[in-house]
Amino acid sequence: MEYVGEHLLPGILGRSFVALAFAAAIVSVIAYYLAEKQDSISFKKLGRIAFYAHISGVIGLVLTLFYLLLSHYFEYDYVWKHSSLELEQRYVFSAFWEGQEGSFILWLFWQAILGGILVFTAKKWENYAMMVFAAVQAFLASMILGVFPGGLRIGSSPFVLMRETADNLGLPWTQIPDYIERFPAFMDGSGLNPLLQNYWMTIHPPVLFLGFASTLVPFAFAVAALLKGDLKTWVKTALPWAFFSVGILGLGILMGGAWAYEALSFGGFWAWDPVENSSLVPWITMVGAAHLLLVYRNKRTGLGAAFFMSILTFVLILYSTFLTRSGVLGDSSVHAFVDLGLSGQLLIYLLFFTVIAFGLLIWRYKELPKSKTEDDLSSREFWLFIGSLVLLISAFQIIFSTSIPVLNTLFGPEGWISLMEDEMAPPLDAIEHYNSFQLPFAILISLFIAVGQYLRYGKTKANSFWKNISASLAISLVVSALFAQLYDFWSNGLYLALLFTGFFAAFSNLYYWLIQGKGQFSFAGSSVAHLGFALIMVGALISNGKQEVISQSKVFLSEDLPANENALMEQGDSIKLGNYTAVFEQLRQEGNKQFYEVNYFDKAGSNTADFKLEPFLLMSDEMGPTPNPDTRHFWEKDIYTHVTYSSYLEPTTGDGYGKEAEVKLREGDTALYRNHFVVFDSLKVRAGINDTTGEMERLTLIGVARVVNVMGQEFKIRPTYQLEGEILTHEDAYFEEAGFKFRFEDIDTETNQIILKAWTKLDENEKPFIVMKAIVFPMINLLWLGSILMVLGSFIAVWQRFKKG
Amino acid sequence: MKKTHIAIIIVIALAIGAIITTINDASTYVGFDKASEVPGTKYTVIGYLDKEAEMDYNAKANRFVFTAVDKEGVKSKVFYNQPKPQDFERSEEITMKGFATDSAFIAEEILMKCPSKYNEQNEIAGYETYQE
Repeated sequence: MEYVGEHLLPGILGRSFVALAFAAAIVSVIAYYLAEKQDSISFKKLGRIAFYAHISGVIGLVLTLFYLLLSHYFEYDYVWKHSSLELEQRYVFSAFWEGQEGSFILWLFWQAILGGILVFTAKKWENYAMMVFAAVQAFLASMILGVFPGGLRIGSSPFVLMRETADNLGLPWTQIPDYIERFPAFMDGSGLNPLLQNYWMTIHPPVLFLGFASTLVPFAFAVAALLKGDLKTWVKTALPWAFFSVGILGLGILMGGAWAYEALSFGGFWAWDPVENSSLVPWITMVGAAHLLLVYRNKRTGLGAAFFMSILTFVLILYSTFLTRSGVLGDSSVHAFVDLGLSGQLLIYLLFFTVIAFGLLIWRYKELPKSKTEDDLSSREFWLFIGSLVLLISAFQIIFSTSIPVLNTLFGPEGWISLMEDEMAPPLDAIEHYNSFQLPFAILISLFIAVGQYLRYGKTKANSFWKNISASLAISLVVSALFAQLYDFWSNGLYLALLFTGFFAAFSNLYYWLIQGKGQFSFAGSSVAHLGFALIMVGALISNGKQEVISQSKVFLSEDLPANENALMEQGDSIKLGNYTAVFEQLRQEGNKQFYEVNYFDKAGSNTADFKLEPFLLMSDEMGPTPNPDTRHFWEKDIYTHVTYSSYLEPTTGDGYGKEAEVKLREGDTALYRNHFVVFDSLKVRAGINDTTGEMERLTLIGVARVVNVMGQEFKIRPTYQLEGEILTHEDAYFEEAGFKFRFEDIDTETNQIILKAWTKLDENEKPFIVMKAIVFPMINLLWLGSILMVLGSFIAVWQRFKKG
Repeated sequence: MKKTHIAIIIVIALAIGAIITTINDASTYVGFDKASEVPGTKYTVIGYLDKEAEMDYNAKANRFVFTAVDKEGVKSKVFYNQPKPQDFERSEEITMKGFATDSAFIAEEILMKCPSKYNEQNEIAGYETYQE
């Protein structure tokens, strides 16, 4: 059968590029392996050519998918699912990586680019490191193959047509040659999730995936070293990459936080959501790995630990991929990907590299050099090692808690080995659960960062250590006491400790760079990065720990119920929000956005507003109303507001009725509506037949029903449904006593039920209102400043390492 | 014993501590029947909205009342002292964290799963039921 109006060529092209990328990666693996084994230049050349072919395939498929999206070829499933005609051009990137397939491609793309760089820079490591790269790429490319050999499913292709998807295959409409023109649904796509229509979503995913991709480099060198048996020299080559990874992955995660803060309404930048956790955990271990590599480079000790952490980081990336994409998180995360049925394939991917890499490490373990002397307690290497262990345990705690759904699959009532009676659910108070562990770890890490710079490799002299650090210690004691007083930290010991160690870390690094290092650029990298991290800790602690919900009411319904954190604001009425007086002025509609204009007055009785915030609801057919916060930034605090409910969302009829309800009733059924029983007794059918033609001209259906009030009094109602020719009319029934209106909406001929709608007359004096949440985040700017400094510092460190290397 | 060995032993101890704490902190997925056996204890119940029953949100009293049906088919009235979640009517599945009382389940936190827009669009377009 010939279909009309389809554009098949780009799809065929796209699939060919995927096939090329996949096949070339496999050829590259084999060629590089033989190149090493036989010490053959020609195989090495073949390996390179194959990898270049792989890169071209990846670039080709990226361009093809962009072409499809920009051309609005909605016969393609991916285009239809993730874009629409009205989608602004600049969001085409967000549409590209909204789906699983697109984000796999993004990841594939970055690893292809990094692999391309390694071909030129890896030198003696090229054969094995590129073999690992190509093997990872082959697995990844298989995720978007979308082939079904012998009923087995391998990958999910973004170039599949809508009529070819498993959901649609065999449906009657797929047999219609001109389906694209026949059905309006194919004229336009279903559009991009409104939450992703945000500039952070254009930039956060590519940075994050570059971060994911970058963890492969130290891993590839580590595995290459284990394969070769040349266990020491890889450290120098891997080191700048490890710090690059720390910087770029950190940046990606922080951008995700910034997006959440700006566009989502869970109130904050971090919520310990499983998806957030699964990108944080590899970052934590990468920080550990980078520092252990540094220890080995400087002190020739702890090589085993450096291997372990470098391998673990990439394995955790794979594990995170499995968690977020296999559907296992389904119930516990709000933003995991939709299950594409790839969990088996993802599991093989994870196990393959985990078993091989750790297997190699165990195999070579005896050959690892052991240091004969013990690290001195006052040495830098000892405390860097301890710090890495703290990072490891911190990562373990987070990933273990995040893995609860996996534990259910393994040990739950319906699991492989049934150990538990009930299914485990994530902790009720996730934030408290994670903080109980992560807060002490953060205190320790900040303390290590504070003193680390003043410790020497080998041995540190006590008097010079104290002499150098005493100024920072004194300043941070004063500053943290000041902040503790200002933001009332005295009652919570752990908070107070982190406040102090955070400031201590910040000042000691600042001092180290400016005074010890005389502000020289060569001292800047680690100091600035550590200063940034310390400020993130302090900023997160103050802004989160001392956040104040200013919309919270002081009325408690009962002891064990939390206070209402949302303020009801009727239009034009002023209400107290913390130190401000706020007035909800009006609703402004702009396109599909409902802006709620709220004025804030600093002083009571003032006529001019100090500032105005306009949180909005984004109305979309697919997602319903989506709240978007609006935030007022001051240098020392943010006022963050979002609308949680609005009276404009209640459906009302043109004649002033609201509180709509709909029910399906069979004869004799009773429904409850606003403390009244509605009994549907019987259905009367009258048909008007034309005498001459014998055709039915008019059909009248009368619902004979009663309303029973709380006193037991009964009132008859007769809502009527009339079809005259093609014209449908409803004769509504009113029940004045309670202000109800009933409509005989439709009839369900399959189940013999009538569909009855009910409304209540709205009070004309009732003003429109919004329910709003307002939170003050003090000192949140420290967090953003710290983020910028940490990333900046990491890149300076990379640059310095690169120059030295 | 070397200092590193001591450190590793401490790490293992902390790891075991983390496992135990997680298992203690974790709640369990149960049905309304099991939740009401121990009123006041917090549980996580997964269910769906009973669309036949009445649903009422009173913004002034800040109380949202609805009826949910759990996976075992048990119905319960649910009180939620928060604004009515956006698009609640269309939710496919509701995860409720809270506790049972003698009259209703008090939800402290609600997560919803909405039908994928894909299927919804299919129905709207009507081509799923198209036959010729």
